[in-house]
Amino acid sequence: MASATTVRPHADIPGLVRPAGRLDGGDALARYRGPWNPRLAAHLLRRAGFGGSPDEVARVTAMGMERAVDALMQMPSVESVAPPSDLFDVVAYLEARGGFRSLRTEDVAEKRKLFQRIRMGEHRSILALQQWWLQRMLDGAAPLQEKMAFYFHGHFTTASLQKNVTAEMTLAQNQLFRRYALGNLRELTKAVSRDPAMLLYLDNARNNKSHPNENYARELMELFTLGLGAYTEEDVRQAARAWTGYEVFPLRGVARYNPRKHDDGIKRFLGHTGNLNGDDIVDIIFEQPQCARFFATSLMNAFLYNDPEDALIGRVASLLKTHDYELRPVLGTLLRSNVFYSRRAYRALVKSPVEFVVGAHKAIGLTRIDPRSRGALRQMGQMLFFPPNVAGWPGGENWLTSDMTIARDNFLAGLVSGRALERSWLADAPTDAAQAASVMLAQMLQGDASASARSDLERYLDGAGSAALGALSSENFDQRMRGAAYLTMAMPAFALA
Amino acid sequence: MKRSKFVLGTLGGLALVANPQHVFARALSSALRPGLPGAENRVFVLINLQGGNDGLNCVVPHGDPLYYQVRPHLAIPANEVLALDARIGFNPAMRSMKALYDRGMVAVVQGVGYPHPNHSHFRSTEIWQTAAPDRYEHTGWLGRYLDESGVPASDLFAGVSIAQVLPEVMIGNRVDVPAIPNARGYGFAGNRNRVLGRAFSGVLGDRALPFASPYLAHVTEIAENAESGAKELPKLIAGYRTKASYPATPLGRSLALAAQIAAKSAGTKVLYVAHGSFDTHVNQQPTQNRLLAELSDALSAFYSDLAEHGNDGRVLTMTFSEFGRRIAQNGSAGTDHGEASPLFLIGKSLKGGIYGSYPDLADHDAGNLRYTTDFRSVYATVLERWLGRPSSLVLAGRFPVLPMLG
Repeated sequence: MASATTVRPHADIPGLVRPAGRLDGGDALARYRGPWNPRLAAHLLRRAGFGGSPDEVARVTAMGMERAVDALMQMPSVESVAPPSDLFDVVAYLEARGGFRSLRTEDVAEKRKLFQRIRMGEHRSILALQQWWLQRMLDGAAPLQEKMAFYFHGHFTTASLQKNVTAEMTLAQNQLFRRYALGNLRELTKAVSRDPAMLLYLDNARNNKSHPNENYARELMELFTLGLGAYTEEDVRQAARAWTGYEVFPLRGVARYNPRKHDDGIKRFLGHTGNLNGDDIVDIIFEQPQCARFFATSLMNAFLYNDPEDALIGRVASLLKTHDYELRPVLGTLLRSNVFYSRRAYRALVKSPVEFVVGAHKAIGLTRIDPRSRGALRQMGQMLFFPPNVAGWPGGENWLTSDMTIARDNFLAGLVSGRALERSWLADAPTDAAQAASVMLAQMLQGDASASARSDLERYLDGAGSAALGALSSENFDQRMRGAAYLTMAMPAFALA
Repeated sequence: MKRSKFVLGTLGGLALVANPQHVFARALSSALRPGLPGAENRVFVLINLQGGNDGLNCVVPHGDPLYYQVRPHLAIPANEVLALDARIGFNPAMRSMKALYDRGMVAVVQGVGYPHPNHSHFRSTEIWQTAAPDRYEHTGWLGRYLDESGVPASDLFAGVSIAQVLPEVMIGNRVDVPAIPNARGYGFAGNRNRVLGRAFSGVLGDRALPFASPYLAHVTEIAENAESGAKELPKLIAGYRTKASYPATPLGRSLALAAQIAAKSAGTKVLYVAHGSFDTHVNQQPTQNRLLAELSDALSAFYSDLAEHGNDGRVLTMTFSEFGRRIAQNGSAGTDHGEASPLFLIGKSLKGGIYGSYPDLADHDAGNLRYTTDFRSVYATVLERWLGRPSSLVLAGRFPVLPMLG
């Protein structure tokens, strides 16, 4: 875990991380003009979103690559994104009890009750936010906006309900990520630096002139923008001084800059000298060649494949520089590029648990997030708003552990046994076993199964010696379809994006 | 065949392998050497104190007036310290640990660290886990130990991470280590093999797919391991009972499972457990005290459980943390990332006491404690004197062994 963007190769499978084949450096980012089909449409939907339902894949196939990418890049305004209605409102709760003064009561029991009620309310709010966000990922109105918010959540990590980070702040940060989904990375970095949840999570709200706290300054460079090796310990200390002066009022969820707590002295940072402030630090960081390479690597690890070639990193980095860190043109180029649709990128990423869970709903045509998904995600080690540490979820092959496999398959077993499945496309599957297997593999896996797996699925659908598919009552037909859906999603290809 | 193996064995490190610049790959190709007698049944448990445990307030230098000067508010008063001698003592939250110490079961190694300390959690954790302070290494020191120890690769529980992730320390080239955060979740819902007939095993090991993915082989391999592991784990821990009362915390539950896995001779050599977070930038005292109390109580329960089943002599436990913390407290009643810190070895088969020397608070490295014992010396001690294996290939060098074992 040198940083959030590196992925450990698995040593006993040579070349595991970098896909095989030679990269055509000159042609890699040029516009893809090859054939367009459901496999590539589903690939685009997995990468620029959380997968596609059979209908969505068909629609994107019909649109063609250009129009599909254009459509994905349309971002609704954040104001139109309605948050869940059942959020606990701390301020309203306290005001109903006589305002903030009520917290200063001498009555210990009363005070404990107040805080317990607030904690419970906050906890419920986070559960509601998790469900709401998963639902947005599934709805598919703006898949790329949600995908970018998810990417930023893992990049600019902030955990909720600790260090005084409230659910309200968590929602505000989540909306910030939506607002900057295809925005400017430098401006997002400035905005997230003064975001209340971030100020609390990495202690920058406690960083002041008389007692500098280096936590944020260090992670800003190590994990968010540069990576180790591009700065010194002295740069960390100087950047911390420049970022002094921010305060957060936790219950009201707002941050403010207090000039009296800011260190106005001269700082020396990465070759620059002056009375630098936090924004200056970010501007200087984004002038470093390593910054463009850092984000290029990170974006490719998230959208293309892990451990990208040095030459390709250089090209994407200069693209970022050319466009002054605007994401829209850079991501637009990536999503339309030869390398994006190449064999080396195809199913070359491991699905994160969130991608797996939302993708499974889509594959069988479910439109509501199964409430058991949150528990399953906890089992799989990816609870939204609770990254394991400031480096975020390690990703890549770190998701390939045996207990993860067990948690994934157990989630699938639950999902295919739900009532909601009765209204899925599975109910209309053909009654001929070979045809049914074909349809399932095409709709859920775009045919990415071997001949032997296909015949195993057919044999299962045909009853493996018991009643054939066509001879089943509707109830038993339904049961067998559920079993087949489980089998299909438990296939190795489904674990890969 | 045999002869070439013999030659490789005698030449040891000179063997040629597929990737010769990979220094540790050599460990794999050397033939097995005789191990320490009695080491076959021994288990080593590694506890990661994540986040950077503040050594100064854990093993407190209560005899040093300088400690009280540099930590005007955060220092632990001398009369509260659980003194080990006139100079040092445990944090008052570590009463159970002190009881183990008084029974001769705890070795305190002072001032452990490595050259050119790194202050990043992630890089420093990686250094501790790979035992490679000067370069990037993809395998962990326990993973390399498993590789070279000769345990069969089919041994499902030779190493187990009792955590949700597979830590780098357990990653090797040959032996796959499962991550089992708890036993109850480590099983498949329903009986899918019966319900789905033979179809399941067919799709499970599907390798001949119509696309190439760098992860495909690993996905199928892990799926197969999960299948057999989920079958075997319940058998391994079936019927285990204990009178020990573990704290109802993640660490307590992890060590309770560790005792069950260690009890059976399932070939288990190494177990990994995590505890934390010790990253106490702000308001350190309550957090660190709680974590140290949990650690001490859980270890105490662990060893009474092991003793109840006659296993306390064959299980050695060690703690580590990616770094200690800055000597001076910061402005938020906490401490920032530092350097050297103490670690503990716990067990019935060691010579308890104080090892190494306490870092000099006056002779610091820009506000950080200088290490006095190289962490690889501790690893070498565990490898050679506990696990009974040569350490120089695993650690890429020779490091002096400490005298607390054998």
